[in-house]
Amino acid sequence: MTIVGLGPHGERASPPERVTLLPQDIAEARAKKLRVAIVMHTLESDWAKQLVQGMIGTLGECGAVVIDVVDCHFSSEAQIVALNRLREKSPDAIISLPVDNTAVTKAHLAISDAGIPLVLIDNVPTGMLPGKDYVSLVSADNFGLGKISAKLLSDHMPHGATAGILAYEADFFATNEREIAFSRWMEINRPDITVKTARFATAGAAGLEADQLMNDYPKIAGLFVVWDTPCIAVITAVSKRNPALPMTTVDLGREVTESLAKGGPVIGIAGQRPFQQGEAVARTTITALLDRRCPDWVALPGLKVSRSNVIECYQSIWREQAPRDILIGFDLTQTK
Amino acid sequence: MQRDNSAPNRQKGKGRPRNSETAAASLVDVLNLVRLGRATTRQELEHVSEYGRAIIADRLATLTELGLVDESAAGIATGGRAPRLVKFIKDRARIVVVTFDQSAFGVGLADLSGKLLTEHHETADVTEQSMTVDRICTLINWLMTRQSEAPDLWGISISVPEPVLVDPNAAFLIEPTEFPPNWSNSGLIEVLMRRFQSPVWMHSSVETMTMGELRGGAGIAQQSMLFVKVGQRIGAGLVSNGQQYHGAAGAVGLIGQLPVTSGEATGSLDAMAGANMIKTRGIKAAHTGESTYLADVLARGAEISAIDICQAAQMGDAVCTEIIAQSGRLIGTIVATLVNMLNPQLVVLAGSIAQTNDILLASVRETVYGASHPLVTRDLRILRSQMSSSAALFGAASIAAEALFDPTFLKGWILLGSPTRHPDFLHRLETMNTNTQQADEGPPPAPRSRSKRA
Repeated sequence: MTIVGLGPHGERASPPERVTLLPQDIAEARAKKLRVAIVMHTLESDWAKQLVQGMIGTLGECGAVVIDVVDCHFSSEAQIVALNRLREKSPDAIISLPVDNTAVTKAHLAISDAGIPLVLIDNVPTGMLPGKDYVSLVSADNFGLGKISAKLLSDHMPHGATAGILAYEADFFATNEREIAFSRWMEINRPDITVKTARFATAGAAGLEADQLMNDYPKIAGLFVVWDTPCIAVITAVSKRNPALPMTTVDLGREVTESLAKGGPVIGIAGQRPFQQGEAVARTTITALLDRRCPDWVALPGLKVSRSNVIECYQSIWREQAPRDILIGFDLTQTK
Repeated sequence: MQRDNSAPNRQKGKGRPRNSETAAASLVDVLNLVRLGRATTRQELEHVSEYGRAIIADRLATLTELGLVDESAAGIATGGRAPRLVKFIKDRARIVVVTFDQSAFGVGLADLSGKLLTEHHETADVTEQSMTVDRICTLINWLMTRQSEAPDLWGISISVPEPVLVDPNAAFLIEPTEFPPNWSNSGLIEVLMRRFQSPVWMHSSVETMTMGELRGGAGIAQQSMLFVKVGQRIGAGLVSNGQQYHGAAGAVGLIGQLPVTSGEATGSLDAMAGANMIKTRGIKAAHTGESTYLADVLARGAEISAIDICQAAQMGDAVCTEIIAQSGRLIGTIVATLVNMLNPQLVVLAGSIAQTNDILLASVRETVYGASHPLVTRDLRILRSQMSSSAALFGAASIAAEALFDPTFLKGWILLGSPTRHPDFLHRLETMNTNTQQADEGPPPAPRSRSKRA
């Protein structure tokens, strides 16, 4: 699959293969006895857990010790504290997923000002530039994910219908791209569909916002939620009103996967590849620490997941067998 | 500094004239001193501007009413009461910035200091005129709605890949320009002015990127810089004495037209070293199998772009490395001529071809250092831009911010509170609306024929 989006500064995407490590690179990295710290927006989502696993595994293969993995709980204050604390520990590199675009800029700049290579995941604080303030951004093709979500939902939308987007309030590159791409795809391919948007500040508040959006536009015939965790809250809130309302989202989290496998309300998912993304993040970090130039933006294409391919996508993304309930639902295993 | 002679004669107390026409000059002076950080307290303003205390107090009161300055924060005390800090309210309004590439565009928002706050880029077929104009309007609306408090919009600054010939004395774009050459009927400027009721500026991407590099990249605090953009076309920008050089007609740095020779072939630098040449040679190498990397890309059904060749070169593909190195040598030959003539402190290479690999930079460096006088290259730095496509947006924002607060233009709107109320701009809008109305109504009816129907 090709990358359809552009980077946060208009960069063309580089494939993850651009940051391949050869055996001699790994040997060189091992000899350096590197120390790396990881600062995540959250560690609670399935996506974040897989991403961290991918990073830690690859860093381990290169002999790099992960000295800390911080869960910021989506809090900019927590991230600033963590970055300042880790800066004092002088690790060889810091990998960070910035929780927003403005509040954490200074703390991230302080890392690069201290001479510590900084690799970013999914988001770039405003004003920071690749090669100067950070090594690389490694993300999914979020514009592509938005387009996949729109296409999947479109197949379930009647002519002239209204679609709703549950978008993220924070100014965040990944979710902005998904939201813009969804509307753009509808504008080009389904001009008959009207798109209405509501924003949630936290994943937990997404249900309330969805409820309000449905009140404001009762004719909404389908929803797109910009990632899976808020989608769970939206499913709960909307199911009282219309349990069959079709929804699409991003990330193959376990609960939305179960909904997809059951036949709804989630009817399609744009899947990221968090494990492979984590590996790419680690390889980028090691490449930078070997004083080699890294691409400004490394992007991984998304997966179009529908009920027909959910099991193989589940295995491909989570690298484990699909849950038993899902297999039973497809008559692929016997009940006890 | 222009003195406001009327002010010292005023009497203290209520009812004194403040927002008079004569106060405009001193308001402009005071605002620009605060805006550019040359004075941060009332004392400093008095000292730098040479206006009296009463005038400074009066002008700051006016500027506060207009929402342009804020004195709520306290500074550091130096023996007595802590002075009030005078700050420019850069969030008073927003500037929209738009940049066009051959195959993509970007839209962003900047504050009044020219700082880029948010940006979005997407690929597009920019030859689809009306779709592109509609898309840009949609994205501007989207960006504005994402602002926490709906701010005023004070200007739209556009960066385009072609040279733009504009009236150097005009405060903003008065007449429609010929960009893009095949966009004569798009009405881009008119649509933006009418829909967003704000002045529009348009400059070439080389100009905006040079400005972006000067204000936010490697060119910060540099007195002389040569900026070279390498894409389908190759252009240059020049900074001299810390200021961008615009030339007689705004057509600086069209170095892509210069003839160069490689082997037995002679052609323009654009044709011999630009992205199209790189792409053509890369496709050939893919089809013949000389480049295994590109042959693999082709086998997977993907279309080969110049960026693929750059990435293959960076990954060590020998054929692609030579394609890029050859391009770098030709560009280096022209850059060496310019460097020997102009003796800049810094040469910055930018554009997608320069920024996706190290080969081009190395090749240009080798050629320039080999072909230049030692005195010229002794302290010369040749760097790759680190601003990516943001350079054009950043530069466009800086250009608009400087134009908005240019003393001549500022004097025309400061007492009205917004550049969108500047008489020249309102006149332009009115003229545009009248023209549109006439066009909508069609040509005037032909005189009735006196002949009777048969």
